Amino acid sequence: MMRLFHGISYLGYIGWAIVTGSLTIVTRVLRPGQYARPMIVEIPLRCVTDLEVTLFASSITITPGTLVTAIAAGTSTQPPVLFVHALFEDSEEAAMEGLYDMESRLLAMTRGRAPSGPATSSAEVEQEEGRP
Amino acid sequence: MNDAVATTLVGVFGISGSLLMLFSALAMFRVRDALSRINVFSPATGLGMPLIVVAVYVYDIHTEGFSWGSLLMAAVAVLCLIIVSSVASNTLSRASVLSGQPVYRKTAPNRLARPPAGVVDDDPDSPDQPRAGA
Repeated sequence: MMRLFHGISYLGYIGWAIVTGSLTIVTRVLRPGQYARPMIVEIPLRCVTDLEVTLFASSITITPGTLVTAIAAGTSTQPPVLFVHALFEDSEEAAMEGLYDMESRLLAMTRGRAPSGPATSSAEVEQEEGRP
Repeated sequence: MNDAVATTLVGVFGISGSLLMLFSALAMFRVRDALSRINVFSPATGLGMPLIVVAVYVYDIHTEGFSWGSLLMAAVAVLCLIIVSSVASNTLSRASVLSGQPVYRKTAPNRLARPPAGVVDDDPDSPDQPRAGA
């Protein structure tokens, strides 16, 4: 029941992101000066299953302004990693914050509740990697 | 639904969808590399084409009357446009990166080109030390 609620709110969130992103691209065309600040950021995923990774990559790409350029498969010690091309973000931190917000909403839909904090899994994995 | 409402709705959806296609095409001239061009085209496929489908559906309701068949067709068309455009953009960008297309030089940070901070990219066991100055 909660998953259905989260799913509907996720669809609304994606629809709103598509509309605002399209408006950003259109209004920036009319404005002179620098058009975009392209960057490629790397985000370690909290998504685990193939379905979650596929849904997340598709959601990122359908949102205007962000595009998945490469997916690195996860190993036993490292989470899967997405390389995302972002056009209109102010900084790398802002871009990653928006993407983690979207991922939390997606995981709330597939798992029934949102994971605890952003990027905890990658931090844990890095610590485990550092141990002998 | 009377004539004025139907004509207005068809016009609003159809023209805004077409304008989104036009502005996406114009935006492609404002960016410099293949990845950005794939990126700025997503308003056209993600919002412009679904809006045109909605305009056609409203026109269909006005002329033919409501039917579940055409509602199903419109819903499937919008869903498929969004899914196909997303998967196609993913495939295009992946093909663009793998084929070695140049990335715009002002793309910063470019995590595909540089290792993230803290990662040392040499092998301590290798016999010849590549980073002699470090």
